[in-house]
Amino acid sequence: MNLPPSHLSRRDWLRQCATGFGSVALSHLLSQDALAGALQPKAPHFPAKAKRVIFLFMHGGPSQVDTFDYKPLLQRDHGKPLPFALPRVVSSKTGTLLRSPWNFSQHGQSGAWVSDLFPHLATCVDDLCFIHSMHCSNSRHGAAVLELCTGSDTFIRPSMGSWISYGLGTESQNLPSFITLCPNPSLGGSNAYGSAFLPADHQGTPVGNVTTPTSRAKIPFIENSEKTPLHLQREELDFLESLNRAHLQNRATDDRLEARIHSFELAFRMQASVPDLQDLSSESPQTQKAYGLDNPVTENFGRQCLLARRLIEQGVRFVQCSHSYKWDQHASLQKDHTRNAAEVDLPIAALLRDLRERGLLEDTLVLWGGEFGRTPVAQGGDGRDHNPHGYTMWMAGGGVRPGFRYGQTDDYGFYATENKVHVHDLHATMLHLLGMDHKRLTYRHAGRNFRLTDVHGHVVHDILA
Amino acid sequence: MKMFPPILASTTGCLWVLVQGLCQAEPPSAEALSFFESRIRPLLAERCYECHSQQKEVKGGLALDSRQGWEKGGDSGPALVPGKPSESLLIGAVEYHNKEMQMPPKKRLPDSEIALLVQWVNMGAPDPRDGAAPAPSEARVTDWETEKQFWAFQPVLRPEVPEVKNATWVNNPIDAFILARLEKEGLTPSAPASKETLLRRISLDLTGLPPTPEERKAFLDDARPDAFQRLVDRLLESPRYGERWGRHWLDVARYSDCNGMDENLTYHQAFRYRDYVVNSFQQDKPYDQFVREQIAGDLLPESAPGSRRERLIATGFLSIGPKMLAEDDPVKLQMDVIDEQVDSIGKAFLGMTFGCARCHDHKIDPIPTADYYALAGIFKSTRTMQKLSVVARWHERPLGTPEEVEAWNRHKTAFTEAGQALEKEKRAATQALPEAVRKAGGNLEKHFPEAVRLKLKAMREEGDRLATQFPPLDFAMAVEEAKPENIRIHYRGSHLTQGQEVSRGFPKILSHSQQTPPPENQSGRLQLADWLASPANPLTARVMVNRVWHWHFGAGIVRTPDYFGKLGERPTHPELLDWLADEFVRSGWSIKHLHRLIVGSATWRMSVSSSPKATQQDPENKLWSHFNRQRMDAESLRDSLLFVAGKLDLTQGGSLIPPSKNPMDGGRLSNVGKAVDPSLFQTNRRSLYLPVVRSEVYEVLSAFDFADPSTVSGERQSTIVAPQALFLMNHRFVAENARSMAEAILREESTDDARIQGLYLRVLGRTARPEEREAALRFLTRYSAAWTAAQPERTSEAGLRSWQSLCRSLLSSNEFLFVE
Repeated sequence: MNLPPSHLSRRDWLRQCATGFGSVALSHLLSQDALAGALQPKAPHFPAKAKRVIFLFMHGGPSQVDTFDYKPLLQRDHGKPLPFALPRVVSSKTGTLLRSPWNFSQHGQSGAWVSDLFPHLATCVDDLCFIHSMHCSNSRHGAAVLELCTGSDTFIRPSMGSWISYGLGTESQNLPSFITLCPNPSLGGSNAYGSAFLPADHQGTPVGNVTTPTSRAKIPFIENSEKTPLHLQREELDFLESLNRAHLQNRATDDRLEARIHSFELAFRMQASVPDLQDLSSESPQTQKAYGLDNPVTENFGRQCLLARRLIEQGVRFVQCSHSYKWDQHASLQKDHTRNAAEVDLPIAALLRDLRERGLLEDTLVLWGGEFGRTPVAQGGDGRDHNPHGYTMWMAGGGVRPGFRYGQTDDYGFYATENKVHVHDLHATMLHLLGMDHKRLTYRHAGRNFRLTDVHGHVVHDILA
Repeated sequence: MKMFPPILASTTGCLWVLVQGLCQAEPPSAEALSFFESRIRPLLAERCYECHSQQKEVKGGLALDSRQGWEKGGDSGPALVPGKPSESLLIGAVEYHNKEMQMPPKKRLPDSEIALLVQWVNMGAPDPRDGAAPAPSEARVTDWETEKQFWAFQPVLRPEVPEVKNATWVNNPIDAFILARLEKEGLTPSAPASKETLLRRISLDLTGLPPTPEERKAFLDDARPDAFQRLVDRLLESPRYGERWGRHWLDVARYSDCNGMDENLTYHQAFRYRDYVVNSFQQDKPYDQFVREQIAGDLLPESAPGSRRERLIATGFLSIGPKMLAEDDPVKLQMDVIDEQVDSIGKAFLGMTFGCARCHDHKIDPIPTADYYALAGIFKSTRTMQKLSVVARWHERPLGTPEEVEAWNRHKTAFTEAGQALEKEKRAATQALPEAVRKAGGNLEKHFPEAVRLKLKAMREEGDRLATQFPPLDFAMAVEEAKPENIRIHYRGSHLTQGQEVSRGFPKILSHSQQTPPPENQSGRLQLADWLASPANPLTARVMVNRVWHWHFGAGIVRTPDYFGKLGERPTHPELLDWLADEFVRSGWSIKHLHRLIVGSATWRMSVSSSPKATQQDPENKLWSHFNRQRMDAESLRDSLLFVAGKLDLTQGGSLIPPSKNPMDGGRLSNVGKAVDPSLFQTNRRSLYLPVVRSEVYEVLSAFDFADPSTVSGERQSTIVAPQALFLMNHRFVAENARSMAEAILREESTDDARIQGLYLRVLGRTARPEEREAALRFLTRYSAAWTAAQPERTSEAGLRSWQSLCRSLLSSNEFLFVE
């Protein structure tokens, strides 16, 4: 359905594609004769606060009660049984309440509580909008990752990055609209950044994967396997173009042929520009240091954060950084949460500051969090189980209320109790910030109009700036 | 949300009121009433009426502003059981015990208010408020007679072949249907394609590979009138045919070699299903039999030696879908697996989206929830999973003789016992350690006495030996009958909110004369298979002939091949579709008969060029005034690259996944922190034999729109994007094949002219025109000079490099990638 039939002109095809999308600026779409019709920048439904998204994904499930959701009663009642019922479905056997091994203190004008795990981020709390009442439906990693990234823990659905790409297109000349840095190939895998039934142009382009250090992560196929010098490749591409131009005689009605000629030109431009983009040595020594590139602990995630900034500067619409599957502390909470936080704390604070200084934070939405949180009750002596019933995520920039805390969990941080925000609500709110009505961003597939939020989702108006 | 016909609903409603009325014979005491008025009524009004009162809204069918309201209850049944708070849905909801139903949804009530409600229910829920119970919410009446008028639910009737003016153009009835429409619209069919073009088209269509120069010569020299039929017959008998067309079905069957989703366990046995599909196409197995085998092969009688094995394997269709194997809720897990089966069957065989009706009556098509759960019951009564606890595992069935199975089981028992004995020994030794050592943790074994350590070592070796010495026995992913049971309607798809029980059966809208209802003592799978494979089923044959048409032409007569419902496309040529469906059934459901008809038509043999009038009037070519130029799919491209480079390995069947060391655990191809080993794909076998990894499809195939192996896909996307260009420019696979081609042509031919001619014949299936030869020669000179200038120390490579570059250019050309 998504291929332009051979003699349908590009213009007709674009028009047809566009009818699937409510208030796309059709004239804008048609005014540009570029190859990637599906990726043309599109006007949102209404004026947007955010133009792009950086998602800092803490895969594994960071513990809310050890980071940002301070619970004095948990500290007090350490060792006592949970005074209310466990959920009907749990992942593992848990014991009594486990106090947080970290101290909490209040920070900034907003007085947000942050544990000792995040000393650098603590200096940024007045930029952050905490949602303490997140909840989702599934207590296992794979399903919860898919729910967070696609809205469904049951079916294969397009990912949020691909929905946003579909809704807004890309502003980059040389880059895909949705890039995911070093994703995990398992526990959701490529379905967590795939486009499912949306046109394939919108799928997330993985740059490296979890086994690749960020410094060596590459866009697929961008490196010539034989290290052929560029001017030789240019020679070959010119010859290829002459073959294709000759073939195009008498076939001019088929726009795909012309589009494919352009695709080689775009590929050549990408190939020339991407290595520079990924070469972080062009950043000032101060910037490199600020992101922690000089320290082996912070270097890897620091590169992701810095790369994210450079990618959005190039017009990429959605960048996902993955601190991949490190936060799953069923045991060894003290040691591993300490290490995890140390790896990301400084780079994230640097990213926020850098975005602010460059005037980018205003219209860039930064989202931080995992696929779920962790239980306030102990698993073993030094661990916590998965907890999809109440956890914290935060956002910054892009039209959210800075220095704000929204929603609550119960006294021990187990269940979201007040102003609960489901993952569907998070998606609806993100789309709203990007200028899109989650009920109108639809795609017709198998006889039905699908949306990111399925039949759910409410915009959380209280957290809008 | 209407769950059963309103007549039934209102009857049960009345009965409820009646029964409850009788039960409440004793009027509540004044004290009880006062408690209600002072504590409960205000609480309900403040906390609940907003969404649950006749004055405002009756969400989920529940009203709480009258006694009758909660007595009748909402979609999930009565809200309160007087005297029994723990059995009362309302109390469960306010206590937030059940994630599916937490009220009020925004915030849990204060404990004090919950206590009041519990106290009230304990008192017998005294309630003086009289009022009518609300009508069932969103009642929808299905008018079956009207619904059946929809084209797709009408029986297939063989239409008259229409008369046409230009009767000489007509090769077979397909052409009459196509031409009649074209004539009516004032369009003329495009000229026939040249023999050369047809050869490349038919070769890639039927085998997924281009013709060799020898095949080209033979065909062009064959002047017999039936040369084309002979060619088609030869291609249909080629083993390459079964591979090509079997792969089409594997898209529909969401074939994969591993589970995907969360726990990406390897499906070591899936390849047997893949090979079964390839063989079925190769042998032209009647499609009705192909359907029956995939749904209920295990229940069909043995018809020929070996058929039982094959039919067990066929039921792999039901097993190979993606499953959430780490779902903590086993009931949900099982229902999700069933849902995936029901949805896939609907889309694959019937072009219907049953999945929608899991949660509510289908909003568009006449598929009520009850029909969904009637089908779901069949699969609830079927064993698909071996275990449902995390990490869950699918069922596999042995394919050997009873003796082989018994020998294998004996060995398995020994293996399991060896493992248990080892554990027991370890536990005992651990217990014997001083407590301080045990508490310290770490590797405790180093503290064991030497004798124990030696014993453990020997036991481990014995275990390893047993693990590698299982007697040979093949297994298949396959299903089996389980205890037959009906299931109840699940409101909003949740097993926590259930309604009435539904008897196993088939969707009412597709009821036809040739169906047998499932008997009580069987799952109903066999009857489902017969019902699907019946000539009287209006969808089965239509959907399949449309798929075959789609795979030949790049677009279907119905352009939504997996969805024939109301919001799908209507057939462009409904009579042609029905004629083909009827002809298909009459031919004994022969797919090869369909191929011969289709490629034998003048319609399929038209050239791709279209008149300006047709372009203007019918830009999407829905009237078929010319052939559609098609971009090669991922497998054709990869296979053809290897083929023209002379490197394609034509070995058939089997698995490329290394066998697992542990026969009880197949392991994972990708895992947390572990990407798929790229060497898995470093083979020159045809693409359909490459492992399909759901979470991480091989990048080369996914770059060219390989089907999502997690869902039924009857149509591939056909994008043109920059990463595809990058692949051709930069990937080792392309570079190496181009280099092999260059080496071969330099070896085989002695003049540059002959070399260029040879490359054109191989890659593009035609000779090079003089000006093309000239251009190629000029390019070789230019490239060679540039190479020498750039790498003076490697001048000797300049010749080969420039030929390699020429080969890659041809392989990257539009003429190679697009089939005309």
